[in-house]
Amino acid sequence: MSYTLTGRLHSRLTALLPVLLAALALSGTLHRWWPVELVALMAAVGVALDLQVWHRLLPYQPAWTMVPLGAVELALLMAIVVGFGLQVPLGPALALYGAGWGVAVVLALAGFPLLRLTYAEDGGELGRLGPVAAIAIGLALLGSAATYYARKPPVVHLAAGVHRGPLVITRREVLQGEPGAVVRGGIVVRHDNVEIRDVTVVGGSNGITVDGVHGTVLDGVSISGAKLDGIHVRTAGIVIRNCTIDMLGNPLGQGIDISFNMGMGMSMVDGCTIVGGMQGITTHSSMTEIVHNRVSRTSAQAISVAEMSMGTAMDNQIQDAVGVGLSCDDQSMCMFEHNTVVDTRDASGGGDRSARGFGLLASFGSEADVWDNELSANPVPIGTVTNSLIRRTRTTGW
Amino acid sequence: MTSVAVVGSGLAGFTAYQTLRRGLEPEQIVVLGTNADPVAAWRRRAAAIRQREMRSESDGHCLPTSFPGLALQSVWRRRSPAPLLETVTDRYHPTVAEFLEHVERRRERSRWDESFRLAHVEQVRAVDGGFELDGHGTFRHVLIAPGHPGLNMPGELRDDPRAVHAYEPHDYASTVTVVGAGLAAATEWLNALDAGAEVVSVRRREPVRRPLNVPREYLSRRGLDTFHGLGGQERIARLRSLLVPSYPPGRAWDEPLGRAAAEGRFRVGESVNGSEQVICATGFRHGFQHDPLLARLVADQGLATAEGWIVLAPDSTVPALTDEARTLALAGAPGQWAFPAADTITGAKYAAHRFLARIRSCRTR
Repeated sequence: MSYTLTGRLHSRLTALLPVLLAALALSGTLHRWWPVELVALMAAVGVALDLQVWHRLLPYQPAWTMVPLGAVELALLMAIVVGFGLQVPLGPALALYGAGWGVAVVLALAGFPLLRLTYAEDGGELGRLGPVAAIAIGLALLGSAATYYARKPPVVHLAAGVHRGPLVITRREVLQGEPGAVVRGGIVVRHDNVEIRDVTVVGGSNGITVDGVHGTVLDGVSISGAKLDGIHVRTAGIVIRNCTIDMLGNPLGQGIDISFNMGMGMSMVDGCTIVGGMQGITTHSSMTEIVHNRVSRTSAQAISVAEMSMGTAMDNQIQDAVGVGLSCDDQSMCMFEHNTVVDTRDASGGGDRSARGFGLLASFGSEADVWDNELSANPVPIGTVTNSLIRRTRTTGW
Repeated sequence: MTSVAVVGSGLAGFTAYQTLRRGLEPEQIVVLGTNADPVAAWRRRAAAIRQREMRSESDGHCLPTSFPGLALQSVWRRRSPAPLLETVTDRYHPTVAEFLEHVERRRERSRWDESFRLAHVEQVRAVDGGFELDGHGTFRHVLIAPGHPGLNMPGELRDDPRAVHAYEPHDYASTVTVVGAGLAAATEWLNALDAGAEVVSVRRREPVRRPLNVPREYLSRRGLDTFHGLGGQERIARLRSLLVPSYPPGRAWDEPLGRAAAEGRFRVGESVNGSEQVICATGFRHGFQHDPLLARLVADQGLATAEGWIVLAPDSTVPALTDEARTLALAGAPGQWAFPAADTITGAKYAAHRFLARIRSCRTR
């Protein structure tokens, strides 16, 4: 086909319309913006290439060129996604792009020629449908952008200095701590979709309490001096990133305790540093992904997936834990992969068999799949107690 | 009331009919022609040069839309995905048998014979609100697809007893001169070599090698918009350069010719002297003046012409005889002023699509 420039744009944008509709539906279902962002990028990359490269380079475009052209556009798209750090999951993004490409191929080869008798002779131009599609895409993207901005939570800036707590958040907002912002007495989250960024919390019963809400994000928070837990999560979906928790001097508290969120989807703890406490990170009856954390000097278990939890612990570093490094406990199902556990210490005192300084332990009817963990200088590198199972596999059995 | 007529029952008329059937019933269309078989003339010519494959590709069919193409139909017939793979790389060419079968199928399905009337139209007269067709009725919208106005024999060979036109039935002597440089000439080189002859190619210029009759961009608005914007003399020059004889590139042509040349059985020569047989692969006569119907139309209506071409609007209509209430369009070879590859199936579709659009937009159709 010999496309005119107008024909290229008509065909591309009209073919993108069903993909955009699918992306809007997907965004609505997932409550995530990445499908719409991706389609907007697809449109931008495609139109830019049409204007600057393809039209000049290809006076005639055989059908087979759709494959290399599609690959070039995909590479450029992914470079932008990675380069700008957009939060787009790779697999679904590739699937969406592939579906969009497939729709474009089918429409160009069959759909448009059937729809418009003169499609080939008009160089891909679609008459009134082309501009209508372009306007529809523009309006849909503008509408999405407007919705995105309208739905963005207000940002509350917490000024530098000490603020008396407990600070109770009862609306959807972003609490952005300025450098030097400290809350003394803890923070309580009591509303869905609250994000707390770069705030230091000192003291309080719990450093941060999240109870019965959805969509909480804690990013870059720093906690010390909590009487019970550093971050205390109950029946709530949460993402915790890049936190620092100091539990030294609190032999009974947990750095992070996520419990009873089985119905709230997968929670995540990523990139945190935790020192001290009885347990560094513990989950009960929860689904949690625990990755890239550093946990040290705990007095019972450094990371514990317990009480019928399902969880993954990957790429964590554990040091100087008393009792157990990685624990899969009480009928839980765990995947432990690429973790490093060094220098655990025996706390059994000759009595508690499950506190003998295990690097990795499965106990009380639990199943742990393990792969490529580095367990060194631990009194017992790996072991099970009371009807538990450890499988060496990189694919989980659940 | 029947308001649409097609004058000419060859491939261009037949292709136009397939498009018209998208919007009209057979009883709303009259086809006036001298043979009910739309491929009668084409089949004879293809048989004469022993053509086995079409030069056109998957979309070289008579259906109004390019999809589904002949490649897709070949997949079912050949029980192989190869035609689809070939078509995405522009290497698929339907066989002549497949094309003829397609035409036969379309003839039946489109109910072509219900619209066909055996008639030889010698005059198209513009009258109030339409055109009177030589006593066969008055029609608001008329498409003339008269076909080529006869074979072109070089003057100096017209009375030479050795000479035969490539499109006339013939066998091959032991020494053959082929005059011409287009697809028919190239086909005849290979035919004569296959028959064991020594072949001399006589040509005025080196053949152009390209997949289709014209560069592909001239099949869409990409090239046509510029073409339509050219002034008279420029457009004549462009048409001359676009319509020079050509045949497709590829090993299927080059290898047998190379082998024969190495064996001394194929060479390019200056004159036809010395050969037992001279095959004139020199195509068709060019110009409206060779077609009595068109020549009379031009003379009666004082139509604008340019060196053998009737000057047409970009949509292949005759500007002086087309307005909101009536349409006179040309398809096939006489439509080259609007579409350089007008004498191909693609060209016939181009004229037909626009003719149908005219009919649809006519409030009094």
